[in-house]
Amino acid sequence: MKKKIFIIMILVLSAAIHSQDSQELQSVKFGLHWFPQAQFAGFIMAYEKGFYEAAGLDVQLEFFDGSGSPLNKLVDGEVDFCTAWLSQTIALKSEGAEIVNLCQILQKSSLILVAKKDSGIEKPEDMNGKRISLWSGDFSIQPTAFFSKYSIEYEEVPQSYNIQAFLADAWDVASAMYYNEYYKIILSGVNTDELNAFFFSDYDLNFPEDGIYCTEATINQKSELCREFCAASLKGWEYAFNNKKETLTIVMNYCDKHKMQTNLAAQSWMLQVIEESMKYQTGENASFWGILAEHDYNQVGEILLEQGLIKSIPPYQDFYKGRQK
Amino acid sequence: MTKIKRPIVWKLILSIGLPLLVIYSTILFLNFKWNKSSAIEQMKDYLVELTSHNASTLNTDFTKIAQYPIGISKMLEVMAEPDEKEIFNLLIDLVKSDSLINSMAIAFEPYSFAKKKRFAPYVYREEGRILTTDLTKDYDYCSADWYSIPMLLKKPYWSEPYYSRTEDNTLQVTFSVPIYKNNKFLGIASANISLEKLRETMENIHIMGGYIFMISQYGTYIYHPNEKDIMRETIFSKAVTYNFNQMRIFGREMIKGKKSVEPFNDPIKGIKQWIIYTPIVSCNWTLAAVIPEREILDVVYSRIIKQMGVMILGYLVIMLTVVWVAFNITNPIRNLMKKTERLATGDLDVQMVNIRGEDEIHELAMVFNKMVIDLKHYINDLTNATKARESVESELRIARHIQESLIPRIFPPFPHRKEFSLFARNIPAKEVAGDFYDFFFLDEDNLALIIADVSGKGVSASLFMAVTKTLIKAKANYVDSPETIMSQVNYDLCQENDAAMFVTTFMAVLNVKTGSFTYCNAGHNNPYLIKANGEIMQLENTEGMALGIIDDCNYTSNKITLKKNDMLYLYTDGVNEAMDIDGNEFSYAKMEEFLKKLGESTPRETIEITMNAVQGFTKNAEQSDDITIMALRVLMLKDNIK
Repeated sequence: MKKKIFIIMILVLSAAIHSQDSQELQSVKFGLHWFPQAQFAGFIMAYEKGFYEAAGLDVQLEFFDGSGSPLNKLVDGEVDFCTAWLSQTIALKSEGAEIVNLCQILQKSSLILVAKKDSGIEKPEDMNGKRISLWSGDFSIQPTAFFSKYSIEYEEVPQSYNIQAFLADAWDVASAMYYNEYYKIILSGVNTDELNAFFFSDYDLNFPEDGIYCTEATINQKSELCREFCAASLKGWEYAFNNKKETLTIVMNYCDKHKMQTNLAAQSWMLQVIEESMKYQTGENASFWGILAEHDYNQVGEILLEQGLIKSIPPYQDFYKGRQK
Repeated sequence: MTKIKRPIVWKLILSIGLPLLVIYSTILFLNFKWNKSSAIEQMKDYLVELTSHNASTLNTDFTKIAQYPIGISKMLEVMAEPDEKEIFNLLIDLVKSDSLINSMAIAFEPYSFAKKKRFAPYVYREEGRILTTDLTKDYDYCSADWYSIPMLLKKPYWSEPYYSRTEDNTLQVTFSVPIYKNNKFLGIASANISLEKLRETMENIHIMGGYIFMISQYGTYIYHPNEKDIMRETIFSKAVTYNFNQMRIFGREMIKGKKSVEPFNDPIKGIKQWIIYTPIVSCNWTLAAVIPEREILDVVYSRIIKQMGVMILGYLVIMLTVVWVAFNITNPIRNLMKKTERLATGDLDVQMVNIRGEDEIHELAMVFNKMVIDLKHYINDLTNATKARESVESELRIARHIQESLIPRIFPPFPHRKEFSLFARNIPAKEVAGDFYDFFFLDEDNLALIIADVSGKGVSASLFMAVTKTLIKAKANYVDSPETIMSQVNYDLCQENDAAMFVTTFMAVLNVKTGSFTYCNAGHNNPYLIKANGEIMQLENTEGMALGIIDDCNYTSNKITLKKNDMLYLYTDGVNEAMDIDGNEFSYAKMEEFLKKLGESTPRETIEITMNAVQGFTKNAEQSDDITIMALRVLMLKDNIK
């Protein structure tokens, strides 16, 4: 009898210890809005180097798999955190979605327009009457604003996920992510000096891109967890930039696991461009290293407003819940 | 034996071995160079042939398949409103007709076919069967590259290879052709080709130590021995990863459809490689081969090593022959040298050198042998001659002794006689002299003085002198007048004087008591009389010539009287005719010079002064004639004592 009680006591005790363990490591689902690549190197390194675990988080990285966007999953409560573009989230917030920005990762637009020099396109006005390929959705906001700014009439063609039509000269101007498609063009044998790239940041159309988001409920209930998560993520980024070789090896392993048709040269370039974008700062009051400045937020909001994509700009204080300067 | 500083062996080795080494090295080097360039040329030809052949085969396949979508586009251009079944049947027939075709599709532009929003009949192979479907079910093909690019370009298009979505994830490439009807875009006809067969073909091409690869029109690896690189890497991404800009330059040439063979230093493997690339014209892909130069050169190296082996062997044989020949030449020479050295030490018993053959060395040995024999004979002769000469010399020595004993040499000769002082000296020019002097008392008071000079010198002269001296002394026993003695001796000497010798003789008889001095001069130099007051005069000549010439020659005598301290000075022509090194004679004048200065010198001192004067004149010149001098000074006369 005494023996039974003893066994029960041990069982209860071990269960208590176990529950304490699971309390310490809080399970978190993190949706990333594209396939694994150096664009997410910081998060991957935070995970791989145990920065999340050290912050008491059991993070599960959920890369885009072709099904629903992480932002929708966030709204639906399927993930706790996600990455998304600023223009995308402002629009969603203005429609009433209860989401907040916790951390702004990319400060500079990587979206660019690119043309071959031999097409004679040297300045925005030269795009008049040209065939320009655009991605749909948020990828077309900056180009649209750009074309209207320079009153460009053009033939729009839908853009797929590769740049072969551009290489084959089926398009005159192509949309490209500076960290991805632009370099794919280079890695297809076109030299930098044979291309003209148009950076939206050079035309007052800079859109900060990737940021970390969660629901209002999450920030209200678990503000400490949100703060820890963002801090660990930024630590991961810092590590990634300081240890590029190791980072790239790990990133390439992720790419291989997801059967990505990429290579080390491309990922190395991507990491470099992402670093530039994260450390990009236009002025004293501008966003920098994880922070979304009000000025940048409003600039994006106004363009969305202009294009009729939103009816009003959600207040900055409601939108951004991250760290201030 | 002498140590030879530069032996012939070394000279031969240096003069043959070194140039030969240079020649061999040059041959090897040139051979290597020529072999290398010819091997590289062969390799280039082979690889160009290989890549060109494969590229052309692929090109033929692709061109052939391209004909099907082109055919469809032309057919649809003229077909009047075909129905769905006709379209499918057309595709099924085409796919069946050619095993290279994996699938075919006709994708219509929205609302271009029977007012359907979209229609894309698709016929494909699956596990040997031919199946049909409508691509519309899967996706919006309008944004696909194979559709949009030829549509926008308005010309046929080879897609980049891609992994198929519908089948078992094989690598495919699509050829698409835009279809127009009445200048209106109708859609795209396309054919898909699986690259599995291509991969098998590529895998079966083996290049020694090298590899082949194929890139697309944008540099993507379609085939590469490293499977992981296929479709993931481009030639340009590799160039970045390995920081190898030349690879990017090659890549750009390739995608421009260029063809080339070039060497390059591969930073990945750290070796020199050759790249050969040739385009597959239809789809603008490039087939390339890379081969390490080492692989090509290994063949050359092994050939050169074999050659080197043969050459080294040949070289050794030549050098051994050289050494052998050199020793064949030098060994006899050394042998000769040894013998010569022994010969030089005087060992005439050296063995004869025996050298075979009929060459110069053999001749040299023969000459050496003859020399040894000649030398032996010569030495023999020399020994005999020396012996003969030595015996003559010893006889001459004896003759001289005898002659010397004939001439009185003890002075003073008459120690108890105070009336006069006498001294004489004879210095022969050769071993045996022809001069002589003599003096002896004929009786208590009369002293005979003789000085003579035999014609000629040597043994015969001395013998003649001995005879003369003996005759004079013999005659003086009976006769005391000098002219009679001279006359008789002359007569005797003339008898059987076949050698025609003669002797100049001066003979005088001095009465030591009275100073009476009777003399007869037979052809001799007239003696000097040096008077007590220092005056000098030569005695007057008497009649008669040298003894031994004419047997009945008449001799007379003169008679003078000597006074106290007068000195008689008798001499032979060896004095007045003594010659210096230039052939100048001493002369009477010089004689008289010192005779005048004699003063009260004793006869011994007088002779010494004479000798000193003569030697002072002749110096180092060899004495040409016998020198004989006799001096007598009158010290007291009995009459005077009285």
